[in-house]
Amino acid sequence: MSDPPEFLKGNEALAYGALRAGLTAFYGYPITPSSEIPETLAAAFGRPSYPRFRVFLQAASELEAINLAIGSAATGARTMTATSGPGFSLKQEGISYAAAMELPLLIVNVNRAGPGLGNLGPEQSDYFQATRGGGHGGYRTIVLAPDSVAEMARMPSLAFALAFRYRTPVIVLADAFLGQLKEDLELPEVAAEAVETPWAVTGALGRERHVLASIHLELADQNRHSRHLQEKFATIGRLEQRAEDVATDDADVVIVAYGICARIARAAVVALRDRGCKVGLLRPISLAPFPRDRIDDLVLSGVRRFLVLELNHGQMVDDVQLAVAGRAEVRSVTEVGGLLPSMAALGAAVESMSDRPASFVDAEEVDA
Amino acid sequence: MSAVLRYETKLGELPTLTGTPTHYCAGCEHGTLTRLLASAVDARGARERAVLVSSVGCSVLAHEYLNLDAVQAPHGRAPAVMAGIKRVRPDLLVFGVQGDGDAVSIGLLELMNAANRGEPISIFLVNNAIYGMTGGQMAPTTPPGMVTTTTPAGRDVASTGRPIDATKLLLGLEGPSYIRRVFLPVAPTSSPDTFNARGALEGEAAIRHAFETQERGGFSFVEFVSTCWVNWKVSILESKRYAARVLAPLFPPGLYRDRFGVEGR
Amino acid sequence: MIAAEEARPPRARVVVEAERCKGCDLCVVVCPQRNLHLATGFNRGGYHPAVFRYHGDRGDCTACGLCYWVCPDFAITEVARLVP
Repeated sequence: MSDPPEFLKGNEALAYGALRAGLTAFYGYPITPSSEIPETLAAAFGRPSYPRFRVFLQAASELEAINLAIGSAATGARTMTATSGPGFSLKQEGISYAAAMELPLLIVNVNRAGPGLGNLGPEQSDYFQATRGGGHGGYRTIVLAPDSVAEMARMPSLAFALAFRYRTPVIVLADAFLGQLKEDLELPEVAAEAVETPWAVTGALGRERHVLASIHLELADQNRHSRHLQEKFATIGRLEQRAEDVATDDADVVIVAYGICARIARAAVVALRDRGCKVGLLRPISLAPFPRDRIDDLVLSGVRRFLVLELNHGQMVDDVQLAVAGRAEVRSVTEVGGLLPSMAALGAAVESMSDRPASFVDAEEVDA
Repeated sequence: MSAVLRYETKLGELPTLTGTPTHYCAGCEHGTLTRLLASAVDARGARERAVLVSSVGCSVLAHEYLNLDAVQAPHGRAPAVMAGIKRVRPDLLVFGVQGDGDAVSIGLLELMNAANRGEPISIFLVNNAIYGMTGGQMAPTTPPGMVTTTTPAGRDVASTGRPIDATKLLLGLEGPSYIRRVFLPVAPTSSPDTFNARGALEGEAAIRHAFETQERGGFSFVEFVSTCWVNWKVSILESKRYAARVLAPLFPPGLYRDRFGVEGR
Repeated sequence: MIAAEEARPPRARVVVEAERCKGCDLCVVVCPQRNLHLATGFNRGGYHPAVFRYHGDRGDCTACGLCYWVCPDFAITEVARLVP
């Protein structure tokens, strides 16, 4: 196999993106709909085009995978693991430890429907779990949400950059639709930059030893460490908010959506604009930190209606409410169970909020 | 006697010991093992390329006492963390200390799979037949009939199963290259108030052999049969006698596998 | 009498750091020459620390090191032999 074909599934694109971002070690456990990530990496392993990719291992469990990843990350290696909902739950223990030990680590969750085993359709119902820490103890991670196959390929590079800059686990939260969707793309260039890891565990050769531990038995020590983590997350919150604006400049209604929902919303914005409806889209790219400053800007520039579209029972809507802080109307449109919302439903919801109601009788045709 | 007497150090300070006072109870084999580990690391001249993985349980603070680069693993996950280090840095000497609850109960999957893959790491299991750190609950290795806080009438094997023999479990796999079980406590002799220290000497040799096996590319495992007088609720010396009487027959010491013949050298 | 014994140079000796000792008795019971015993007094940890005496119940220290190896608290910091 030569260079990968540039018409790929989202999962395959993410795997190649990770390789081009200098992936050194991958550990994973099979779970649909994310298994193409380990499969693609297994096929690429040992190929001369990726000399930095030195470890591929199918682990015996999700727990083993995240802990193998912790070990490799502790040496400063670019390390990734990938999973889907039920496996993401199992990995939470390790993510908590990795956050506490300040390990740079990339965890991919291709969100399927849940709770429990659920099904293999797309959902965004792991939003809370991903953006609130997810495991025990007080911590946050960085959560990034791509909305296209091309962005799936670009995300590992950004994720590793942030993970090493802040020494923290970074989660790429995709969904089953994006993971399985096939699109044209241009793969990113191979990253060449080396990252300094002066904290890594590499054997105490000619230096003071490094200890990566999450235990702080002295209450004052734990207090200091927890405050340090809090401050780090606060800094990340200030500096690393990412979002994309689509036609928000003159919008009366702004749809807030990420991942596959942003794709639907993008199409709806075009269709509704054609009918004279002033609607825009704010697409959070970082779910954590949530781009609340961008929401704030929109409120300050006069937006009084936000419509939050997501594949769950309404989770990100809480973050929008927090950012809006009562200054505008926030409505939630949701779909669950692996189904996608129809553009008609979205259009109707926008229409009912809009200052200039547009007839959306044709919406079904747009949808079809 | 006016001449100044000169003494030559035979055994002394070890660079791999930090000197931090331990949190271990008086007479605990965890402490003894710490010295043995330091000695074996220093004998190999490996202090600057060794990485310790401490686990959860009484070994959780092992990194406070061993002057090495270290990572502290989640409960039961030390073998996975060790393997993750070793896979990207095969030049390092990677080893870990685990207790029986950590390795044989919550972390059995990680232990078995690291062993099955023959990961070139060294795992040292302190089997004191009880959960020490959490206050004396039943462990997977608790002998039948032993009273613990969660088996107040003694361990009932009909309900809780027989003790798990980790050494024999690993022996069922092709992956491990070196498997040894050492009776680590001081052991009673025929004289009532005299004990021998054979376990410590054997233990240090076993650790050296485990390291040698690792550096030849094999998985090594040493189980140290140990004691926990505080949670067994007996005196220190009585715990050693109990271990010799009850644990040694249950977990027979010996060399179980030595694929590279490191002990014959 | 004590003075006379101490006047005889021991062939070997061990150094016990009393403040590290938790008085577990292990060095005492493994010493083949009975050169170690627990002090009647306390160290700052509240333990009766091990004390080394040159000429034990069964003879002089031979620097065998058993106390050094079993001590769980690294309180036996040195085992040394007399240079003849």
